[in-house]
Amino acid sequence: MDIQLEKISEHVGDTGDFIKVDSEKCNGCGQCALVCVANLWLIRKGKAILKDDYTKKCLECAACYSVCDIGAIEFSYPRGGTGVVYLKG
Amino acid sequence: MTEYDVIIVGAGPGGSVSAKFCAEAGLKTVFFERGRKPGEKNASGCGLGPRMWREFPEMMKRLTPDVAPNLRMASCVINHYLNKEMEEIAVEMYYPTASVTYEPAKKFITMNCYRSEFDPWISSLAVEAGAELRTSTLIKDLIKDDKGKTIGVQTDTGEKIFGKIIIGADGVISTVAIRSGLNPRWRPDQITLVPQYDFSAPPDIIDKMFGSDGLFRDAADGTWWGVTFPSAYQVIFGDGFHIGLGAWMGQWTSNPINFLNKLISSRPFQRMVKALNAKPREIQTHLLPWTQEPIKTYTDNVMLVGDAGGFPCPLEAEGVFPAMETGKLAAETAIKCIADGDTSKQGLKLYEEKWRKSSTGIEFSTGGETLQRLWKNLFFSVQSEKNNMEWFIPLYHEIRGGHFDWSEPHIIRMRQILETVRSYIPQAMPFFQKYVIPLISDVIEEDLNLLPLFIKLTEGLRPKKKK
Repeated sequence: MDIQLEKISEHVGDTGDFIKVDSEKCNGCGQCALVCVANLWLIRKGKAILKDDYTKKCLECAACYSVCDIGAIEFSYPRGGTGVVYLKG
Repeated sequence: MTEYDVIIVGAGPGGSVSAKFCAEAGLKTVFFERGRKPGEKNASGCGLGPRMWREFPEMMKRLTPDVAPNLRMASCVINHYLNKEMEEIAVEMYYPTASVTYEPAKKFITMNCYRSEFDPWISSLAVEAGAELRTSTLIKDLIKDDKGKTIGVQTDTGEKIFGKIIIGADGVISTVAIRSGLNPRWRPDQITLVPQYDFSAPPDIIDKMFGSDGLFRDAADGTWWGVTFPSAYQVIFGDGFHIGLGAWMGQWTSNPINFLNKLISSRPFQRMVKALNAKPREIQTHLLPWTQEPIKTYTDNVMLVGDAGGFPCPLEAEGVFPAMETGKLAAETAIKCIADGDTSKQGLKLYEEKWRKSSTGIEFSTGGETLQRLWKNLFFSVQSEKNNMEWFIPLYHEIRGGHFDWSEPHIIRMRQILETVRSYIPQAMPFFQKYVIPLISDVIEEDLNLLPLFIKLTEGLRPKKKK
């Protein structure tokens, strides 16, 4: 069954940046990319980078932040009233 | 500057129940929701257990289809067993058994309700009781005094709000838990990652299949146990269903969505999708604390409830009832400590004393650890070094289903089944000793070693003459 996730996910408002990567700390282990259900991470030249449109696709689970045991990922939620909306959560 | 008696971060089931009881006691109470309305940021199963009706009878009788149109009673669990080839080899259905002691638990296992319907309803009860609800407001930080004690919260627009007690009901990644120092970070073995699809399905077809006159009467809850993916749950609502699965951080060998996609693409699942005319409607993903023991849940002026405190039950990670119960206990503690004028950690120690004695606390006191270890190494063993489901499913299939068969004279069949069961003993025995015996010891409150008895029993079951 082929499901395109962005077609079954709704986002509202201007979230601002809410995930930051410290590229000095990042060792490119790829765990963030492995667990991201929305597939928003790329590993380029041994560093994790977020896709440009992540704020429109992020499901706000914070798995990337939680799995990064060297603490290279900073996660705060989108500003109030913006971001992913679960209509049938 | 506004000062509140109680500031509650989060307007889910835990925060809303806290807010309701605090406001009813006359405390000046505010609770915050980062979504535009409660429930729009939440995803869960979401089955409500009967303990809610026992502990909160006045509240829960108000949860009706008027306020939650897609509420559906789940009287029965359906277990689907899939083999390595993702073919269904067994299905079983169970209604509550005779040992269940009270209503409504005799009638249903869960009441299934979308969080997008449940959370607005439960938060409205707190507002009705006089609590102030502020939506679209993210709490980004705590305000501390010069001694480092928490005295308020700060919003994402920089607004400062002060209060005597701050209750963190802000979920798994809890600003209150992190900034108060109670839980700077979860260990990977304390949290699970749970992707979940919501499917729509026409209500009349759901009724025909799962309604009270349906083919599978009031079945509204299913589990899918397979060899190649972590145990998945299916929860059926009035106009659709959730299908999701989870496992601990650090255990994933491939993207979690791949496991879920493998399940929903399987032929048995697709047969159900076709029969229900179901369509994928929403992707939801959340982290869920699933621990053997809650973290430290209080410090000066601060208490943590629900997921923020690690309270989901250690066996099945049911989180809504523990959130409501700990929310109520935190409110009772706040009411007493504010009246006594002592909101220090010495005063708030009462909260832990209360939750340890509660229904939620009993889950953790005895059996929490052994139950979770068993569970983690069986239905969720797919990502551990040893996949116990590879032998468990065929063994279970053989024991439960082997005799529904006309291929041989019955006595020959029984010997065939016995031999097959015996062939799994080398794998089953170490598992039994390591995970099942400790659990039985917890249940009967006595150290025991049943292994010699078990071996004797199985040896004795060998046919004495050559066939």
